[in-house]
Amino acid sequence: MNYPVWVVPVIGSGWVIGIIAIIHILISHFAVGGGIYLAFAERKARKENRKDWLEIIQKHSRFFLYLTIVAGAMTGVAIWFSIALSSPEATSALIHNFVLGWASEWTFFIIEITAIIVYYYTWNRVSAKKHEAVGWIYAISAWMSLFIINGILTFMLDPGKGWLSVAGTGAEPSKFWEAFFNPTYFPSLLMRTLVCITLAGLFAMVTASRINEEKEPKLKEQIVKWSAKWLMPAFALIPVAALWYYLMLPQANKDLFKLGVSTIGQGIFTQLTRNAVFLIFASIILFFIAYVFLWRHPKSVKLSHALLIILLAFSIIGVTEHMREMMRKPYVIGNYMYSNGIRKFDAEKFNSEGYLRNTIWTTEESKTTWHIQDTMTSEESDNLSSPIQPDLYRGELMFRGQCIACHTTNGYRSISKLLKGRDEASIRSIIDMLHEYKEDSPYRKFMPPLVGTKGEVDALIKYLDSLINKIDQ
Amino acid sequence: MAKSKSLGPDTMGTRFYKWLDERLALSTMAGFLSKKTVPQHKHSHWYYWGGITLTFLIVQFITGILLLIYYKPGPDAFESVRFITYELEFGWFIRGLHHWSANLMLLALFIHMFSVFFMRAYRRPREFGWWTGVLLLLITLGFAFSGYLLPFDELSYFATKIGLDVAESLPLIGPALAAIARGGTDVTYLTIQRFFTLHIIVLPLIILGILTIHLVLILKHGNASPPSEEAKPKNKRKEIKFFWDFFVKDITMWLLALNFLILVTILFPPQLGSPADPLAPAPEGIHPEWYFMSQYQFLKIFGNILPGAIGEFISIGLMACALLLWAIVPLIDNTGKAGKRAKAATYIGLLSIVILVVLTAWAYLAI
Repeated sequence: MNYPVWVVPVIGSGWVIGIIAIIHILISHFAVGGGIYLAFAERKARKENRKDWLEIIQKHSRFFLYLTIVAGAMTGVAIWFSIALSSPEATSALIHNFVLGWASEWTFFIIEITAIIVYYYTWNRVSAKKHEAVGWIYAISAWMSLFIINGILTFMLDPGKGWLSVAGTGAEPSKFWEAFFNPTYFPSLLMRTLVCITLAGLFAMVTASRINEEKEPKLKEQIVKWSAKWLMPAFALIPVAALWYYLMLPQANKDLFKLGVSTIGQGIFTQLTRNAVFLIFASIILFFIAYVFLWRHPKSVKLSHALLIILLAFSIIGVTEHMREMMRKPYVIGNYMYSNGIRKFDAEKFNSEGYLRNTIWTTEESKTTWHIQDTMTSEESDNLSSPIQPDLYRGELMFRGQCIACHTTNGYRSISKLLKGRDEASIRSIIDMLHEYKEDSPYRKFMPPLVGTKGEVDALIKYLDSLINKIDQ
Repeated sequence: MAKSKSLGPDTMGTRFYKWLDERLALSTMAGFLSKKTVPQHKHSHWYYWGGITLTFLIVQFITGILLLIYYKPGPDAFESVRFITYELEFGWFIRGLHHWSANLMLLALFIHMFSVFFMRAYRRPREFGWWTGVLLLLITLGFAFSGYLLPFDELSYFATKIGLDVAESLPLIGPALAAIARGGTDVTYLTIQRFFTLHIIVLPLIILGILTIHLVLILKHGNASPPSEEAKPKNKRKEIKFFWDFFVKDITMWLLALNFLILVTILFPPQLGSPADPLAPAPEGIHPEWYFMSQYQFLKIFGNILPGAIGEFISIGLMACALLLWAIVPLIDNTGKAGKRAKAATYIGLLSIVILVVLTAWAYLAI
C-alpha cells in the first residue's frame, strides 16, 4: 500500500475503468481501422476519378476527426486517470517496465493526431499525391500505436517466463523485448487488427447512411457495399485468431474457460465461458446482419440502422474486454502482481511482518500498537486487565487495501451480499481459506491470497462481521 | 406457372422449383406476397415489435423442447432443473434463454400492443386482429404462470400458492378452479403435473391456433397507418415493399433482439433457489414476477380497503372489467375518424399505461 485507496461506492473502481475503457477501445480501434479505410478509399476514388466518392470520403474524414480526436483522446486520458487511481501499483509497474514502450507509443500518437488534422484541413488544398501520403502516414502511425499498446496489454496477461525470472530484481528492463513479445502478443495483434478493420467498415455506414438513396441510389449502394467488404477479413480470420490466442494462453486460463461449460457456478467462475458463448452468437448475428442488410439491401441503410449495428459491435467489444480482464484473475499482471496490487513475492513478507506495517498510510502510533499486540505471547495477553479486541479501523484498512479493488460493500460484487447469512465463525472459515491459500482451494483460481498477520486477519473478520451482521465493537 | 417460365435457364434448380411450384402453388403465394407493402412514416419503427415478439416465441419453443429432454415433472422436478442448471453442459444456457426470452417476449408483447393501440390498428377492418392479440397476451401470461412453478423451488412454490389462493377467492367457481389446478388442497407434485400439461401441450396448441389466425389477418389487412398518416392525401404517403425491403429490416431487428437475449442470458443466468418446502414459512418479501406486479398491488390495495373475500372479489371483478374494456375498444372507437370516441380511446390507452407503471413501481417500492 504505497498509494491511497480509491473508494468508489456501488460500481467499484474497476467498473469506472471498464466503462471508460470500453468506449475508448471502440473509438481507438476505429481510429486505427478508419485510417486505413480513408487511405484505401481515397486511393480508389482518385484512381477511378470518382468526385462523388471523394466528397463522401471528405465528409467521413470530418466525422472521423471529431470522433477520434475529441472522444478518443478524452477517454484515453481518462483511462490514465482512472487506472492510476484504481490500480496505482500496477500502473507504476507498467510505467517503469515499459519506458521505451510508452515513449514510442506517445511518439506515434503525436504523429497520428498531427497527421489526421493535416489530412482533414488539406482536402483540396494540396496535391492529390501529397494528400494521399498524409493519409498513409496517419494509417501507419495509428497502427503502430496499436502495435505498441498491444505489447503492454498482452504482457499483463502473461509476461512470459524470461521476464518473470527477473521480476522484482530490478533487472526487468533487460527483458523488455521478451516481455513485449510475450506468448499472446501476435494472436492478439492479429485479432485487434481485424477488429479495427471491421469497425472501419461499420463506422463508414454512419456516413454512407446519410447519402440520399432517392437522389444518389447508385452512390449509396456502391459505398455501403464497398464498406461492408471491410467486415469480411474479420469473419474469415477471427475464428482462426481466437483459436490461436486460446492455444497460447497459460494452462490456468484455459482451465477457467472449461469450468463454465458444465457448470453455471457463481460469479467469475464461469463468466469467461459465458462471455465466450455470447461472442460466438453475437459474431454470427453480426455476420447475418451484414450479409442480409448491408450487402443485399445497401440502399435501405439509415443512420438509425448504422448506429444499432455499431451498438452490436460495442456489445461484442465490451464483452471481449471484460473477458480479457477476467482472464487475468487472480492477477493484474500475470504471476507477478495480484489484482489488489500486492506483488506475489511480497505475500510471505506481509504474512510475517504485517500488511499494514508496510504501508505508509497509517500512523506510526497505530503500527506500533498493532505490532505489540501481534507479538504478545498468550501469557502476556492473559495478564492484561481487559482482553485485546481486534479493532474495526484496522479491519477496515485491511478491507480497503486487499478487497476493494474487486469488491464493494453494497454494490458490484457486494461483500455484504456474498457473505450474507454468515456468522463470525463462518466468515472466519472463508477468510482462513483465503489466507491459507492451499493448492486445492477453489478460490485460488480467481482470488488473490489474503495476506497479513493473525491480528490483521482477525481485525478483518471483525470488520466484515460488523458489516454483515451490523454489530458495533 | 406463368411466372416460373421467367426463371431463366433450364438448370436443376429451376426444374426443382417448377416441380414444387406445380404441387404447392409457390408462384401464387410469391405473387401475393410480392404485392404486399408496408407504410413508411416516422412511426414505422413500431411495426417491428410484433416480429420481435414472434422471435422470442420461437426461441421459447426451441429451448422448451430442449429442456423437455431432461426435465422430469413430478417428485424429481427440482432435481432435474438443478441438474440442467448446474451439471448439464450448457444446460444453464438453454434454461437461461428460455427464462429470459419469456420475459422479453412479454415486454415486446406489451410494447407491440400499445403501439398497435396508439396507431389505431384495431379499427375497422382489423378488430379481429386486436381480439386475437388480446387473447395471445392472456395465453402468454398463462404460459408465464404455469412455467414459473415447474422448477419447484421455494420461490416458484410460494408464488404459485399465492396465485392460486387468489383464484380460490372467486365466488362460485373459485374453489373448484383452484382445486382442479392444484390437484388437491395444496400445491404438490400433482400441481406440477397439471401445470406441466398446461404449459407444454394445452397452451402451445391454443397459441399456435390463435397466432395463425392473427398472422393470416395481418397478411390480409396489412399494417395500419397511424391517423396522422391516414389524414395525408394518398400521393403523399410512402410505402415500401414487404419483400424484401421491409423484411430485411425485420430480420435485422430479430437478430438484434436475439443478440440482446443472449447478452442478458450470459450476464444474468437464472439460478435455482432451495427446494420447495410446504412446511417452511414463505420467504421474506416474496412477490410475483414484474408482469403480475400491477395486478398484485391492485389486490393489495383493495385488500386494505375491503379486507376479506369481498375485497378480493371486487378487485378481481374490476380487473376483469378493465380487461373487457380494453378488448372492446374497437367497438368504442369505431367511427374511423377523430372525434369524441377516438379521444376516449386515447384516454383509455394513456390511463392504462399510467396505471400499469404506477402500480408496478408502487409494488416494487412496497416490498
